[in-house]
Amino acid sequence: MAEEILNISNLHVSVEGTEIIKGLSLTINKGEVHALMGRNGSGKSTLANALMGHPAYSIDSGEITYNGQPIEELEVFERARAGMFLSFQYPSVLPGVKVGTFLKKSIEAVRGEPVKQREFRNQLKAAMQLLDMDRTFLSRYVNDGFSGGEKKRLEILQLVLLQPRLAMLDETDSGLDIDALKIVSKGINQVVPHAGCLVITHYQRLLEHVKADYVHVLIDGKIVKSGGPDLAHKLEEKGYDWLEVKNEV
Amino acid sequence: MSYIDMSPPPRAKHLWRYTPWPRIQPQEGVPIAEKIVFTVNGNESLDSGAPRVVLESEIARVFLSEIGGSSHTLNIEGDVGLVHIQARASGHVVAGHLHINCKGNSTVILHLTGEADWSGLYVSGEVADNCKLAYGFVNELSNDCKLLHCEDWSVGRDATMEIAALSVGGFRSKSDIRTALTGEGATLKQAITVHGLGARHIDNHIEINHKVANCNSKLVINSACAGSSRSIATGLLKVAKGANGTDAGQVFRNLLLSDKARADSIPELEVLADEVKAAHGAASAPVNPDQVHYLMSRGLSPQQAEALIVEGFLIDAFSCLTDIDLKGVLATRMTIHLECELKR
Repeated sequence: MAEEILNISNLHVSVEGTEIIKGLSLTINKGEVHALMGRNGSGKSTLANALMGHPAYSIDSGEITYNGQPIEELEVFERARAGMFLSFQYPSVLPGVKVGTFLKKSIEAVRGEPVKQREFRNQLKAAMQLLDMDRTFLSRYVNDGFSGGEKKRLEILQLVLLQPRLAMLDETDSGLDIDALKIVSKGINQVVPHAGCLVITHYQRLLEHVKADYVHVLIDGKIVKSGGPDLAHKLEEKGYDWLEVKNEV
Repeated sequence: MSYIDMSPPPRAKHLWRYTPWPRIQPQEGVPIAEKIVFTVNGNESLDSGAPRVVLESEIARVFLSEIGGSSHTLNIEGDVGLVHIQARASGHVVAGHLHINCKGNSTVILHLTGEADWSGLYVSGEVADNCKLAYGFVNELSNDCKLLHCEDWSVGRDATMEIAALSVGGFRSKSDIRTALTGEGATLKQAITVHGLGARHIDNHIEINHKVANCNSKLVINSACAGSSRSIATGLLKVAKGANGTDAGQVFRNLLLSDKARADSIPELEVLADEVKAAHGAASAPVNPDQVHYLMSRGLSPQQAEALIVEGFLIDAFSCLTDIDLKGVLATRMTIHLECELKR
């Protein structure tokens, strides 16, 4: 029987008084990849941020359960410690904070215990090899002067190291060249068997490397259509207009 | 002129506006001061000689030279590597003078510690032509100490000086650091970090004087203020007549960690040359909530997130430096200080 990781039921989310998510329901089980597609402003990032507990996003109604437990009362860091992970579309720059320091502190925070230096080094080495990253990365300041692609690689490096139970990837493919996309996909695929995965994307190209079990189309804060991988191909071909018309009817 | 013949400087003077002389002097008149004990690399002592005063008309320097007694001199010749000077201030009123004469390449760390009620420290030095000195000053005096601290440097032709300062000790401090670029092609990179806690009052005055042509200087001051602490940073960039080809920049950044914390940044330019690049900027802001959210999304509590952001902000001031030893030592001291504070 499928192990449920996330269940969202009739969720309504607003930002500064404006309703963005308007009754969204979704269930993600362990080992499943759900791709969420939609136009700019349709509410994809809002959903990811609300799930992660960003204080600017207000949950007006509906229910979210993670591992069978409601998460509304959990602070952002408690959600992270419970195994939720969001790869940000625009991750913050942390001047003066070295990548190596940041990664170790994150791992220790999520695990709730100190990590031995040797163990950390070994895990880091393996993860960086998987993502074809140079060790000089570790002594740079987090996202400071990084290219778009480097920022996304660092997000996926964190994903691989933190091994979450729920991975939410917000446009991780944007800013990546073809080779980088393949490498980043390797990182995502390593996590997928042990986690539920919500992939927010505009393009089919990421889904050529990360196989989605389900594709959902979000229009105006609602999932208007769900299907298999073929749906992503159809969207690539036809855009979103055909779904909007159907939605209005 | 001796100190006793000098009038206290008026508050209207830029230098004394934020920490007036009566608030930083140990007592009225000239006290009998005990001496700061300097040791080099753990056990060696320094040569001592007659007191030196570079600016004879400046009240703080005159006062320090009168109470500081003999001057201790560090002579650097050739490639010396890392030199660690421990300055220990113990007693009621304590003062000392260190002179660094650099005719080679070295990294010197001056680490001031102790429980003295009042400490006065005067540091002077020269970096000779074509030489390089990376100098770091760490103020880790105990929390109830007052500090008056003056420095005067001159940097010769094609010489490079890097100055880093870490101010995390004492409850009231006034630092006045002046560097003159006296030889063509001289370069100065200066980074100052201030961590204000409780009711600390930290006043840094930095003067950089481009006396000749084709010199470069860069100043970065990052202050993070918590509690009801106050940081003042006044910068005076002077470019003398004929000092064309000057390239100078000053950046002041303040991170305000509480509603009661204050940070004032006052950069000033005095440019008398024609072909000059001189830029300055100042910014004050609270901790960026997006940075906190990002770190919390990686499992750090709000307190852990803020602590890491503050640490990064302070260490980032050292990014303008190139000397690896200097950056490494000061960043390590900063991390240790913040970890200790976090555990309190």
